[in-house]
Amino acid sequence: MMIPQILLEGALTGALIGLGAIGLTLTYSILRFANFAHGELLTWGAYLSLSVAGLIGAATGASLPPIDPFSFTWALPVAGLIAMLLTAALALAVDAALFGRLRGRGASTIIVVMASFGASMALRSGLEFLYTSKPAYYTTELQIAMRLPAGMRATPDQLLMLGLTALVVLAVHLMLTRTGIGRAMRAVSENPALAGLTGIDTRKVIRVVWILGGALACAAGTMSGLLVQIRPYMGFDLLLPLFAAAILGGIGSVPGAMLGGLIVGICEAFAVHLIGAEWRAAVGFVLIILVLLARPSGLFGRAA
Amino acid sequence: MTPLATAALVAGYERDLPIIKGIDFTLAPGGFVAVLGPNGAGKSTFVKAIAGLVPVHSGALSLRGANVTGLAPHELLRRGLAFVPQTENIFATMTIRENLQLAAAVLPRPARAGRIGAMLEMFPDLAHRSGALAGGLSGGQRQMLAIARALLVKPQVLILDEPSAGLSPKAVGQVFETLVRINAAGTPILLVEQNVRAALKVAARAVILVDGRLRHDAPAAELAGDPEIGALFLGAGHGEGARA
Repeated sequence: MMIPQILLEGALTGALIGLGAIGLTLTYSILRFANFAHGELLTWGAYLSLSVAGLIGAATGASLPPIDPFSFTWALPVAGLIAMLLTAALALAVDAALFGRLRGRGASTIIVVMASFGASMALRSGLEFLYTSKPAYYTTELQIAMRLPAGMRATPDQLLMLGLTALVVLAVHLMLTRTGIGRAMRAVSENPALAGLTGIDTRKVIRVVWILGGALACAAGTMSGLLVQIRPYMGFDLLLPLFAAAILGGIGSVPGAMLGGLIVGICEAFAVHLIGAEWRAAVGFVLIILVLLARPSGLFGRAA
Repeated sequence: MTPLATAALVAGYERDLPIIKGIDFTLAPGGFVAVLGPNGAGKSTFVKAIAGLVPVHSGALSLRGANVTGLAPHELLRRGLAFVPQTENIFATMTIRENLQLAAAVLPRPARAGRIGAMLEMFPDLAHRSGALAGGLSGGQRQMLAIARALLVKPQVLILDEPSAGLSPKAVGQVFETLVRINAAGTPILLVEQNVRAALKVAARAVILVDGRLRHDAPAAELAGDPEIGALFLGAGHGEGARA
């Protein structure tokens, strides 16, 4: 296959990874632990979109035509926005029930990380119980790939997803660099004690981080579900590439997470074509090891 | 009204290990008090407990007569208590202006730009490079930014934990000069210092902590001439210590 097409496929996967990694990198830098349950927020987001879209379909009498040229009806974007709020609420609920209590007790990082493993399993099993392990789909419409310059091909859904991801990343970046709450988030990330002395309510910042992380995870999960399929393990399987992207970009950096996601996605695409599909998962490991050896602070990270 | 008072204050990082063992202290309106004492006496812990950074086990803390015991640092700041920590007292990855904007966020929106402007006017060294990263500032300039950040919210009480630590003699002079100016304008100051000679020159009053208890409380001039105090502290170096 031609190199431009491999790059495009890599960019598609990479955009999803980057979108998920933004939430991961923010929770990592502000709450100071690696949240292994972040993948489940993607999965829950995808399933919540599915359920809300189903409800909208049932309420409107399921005969809506797809929005031309895309494969889905207007029920999906509306459901996606509602599901983003629901996923944010889920993230807040998990924090209130689990992580917040551990923080209050001054638990060590390793305890919080182990608790996130537990949360990951519980959230995943909950989905298998509610929806079974059978793959689900937002749409059964077939889409014909369009011809693009340089011999590339992509479906309208895929192109829409790339555009939406770029918009979301830009919006989050502007929020962090230009708004008061963004500055407060960076302040808590750099020095929580000094942030408190400067008048910042760290509990409020933590709530905003969960809301943002949950909403972005839902967006990534829903887009992934649209382009591939919805499975209870979809988020868990993305966890390693998410961490690779966050570490590669530098913990705490939004542009870094996005660029890291694109690099991981493109490396995966090349590995699949040059070595074999069974090596896809190894790419994340190799990248994490290389970054930790060569530049532990990542591309955009500050030295510890 | 008394800007700041503690009553039988007991505090420490661990529940069963009080470092501050019952301190009664009042800061008078417009006062400038130095907190002195040998290494390990609990000077830093005392002011950190007042600022909400170290748990208070028992006793009370009041600001202008209101009981504020156990409040978080961000709540204490909103009630007029500003604290400048000894180290890591600025956000190094942000610009000077962003550091000030963060502090200004507790003020009503229309007042923010004016106060940031006032601080930049008061500290011209910071003004002509307000877009630069704070991490690139010299030790003395960092201390000035930390003081500007604290002063921006017009605090009722300003507390500083060893602002002279690690600074050149010239920078120490500038920092203390600034504190005198701030105090003269009406803001009461509580200052922890290892540099006893310098502290007794600027403060009006000094308290001496020994093993978590208040041992002396006297006008600074009186202490400066006391040979016993001289033997206790003035021979001691400016070493790091008294953190725990």
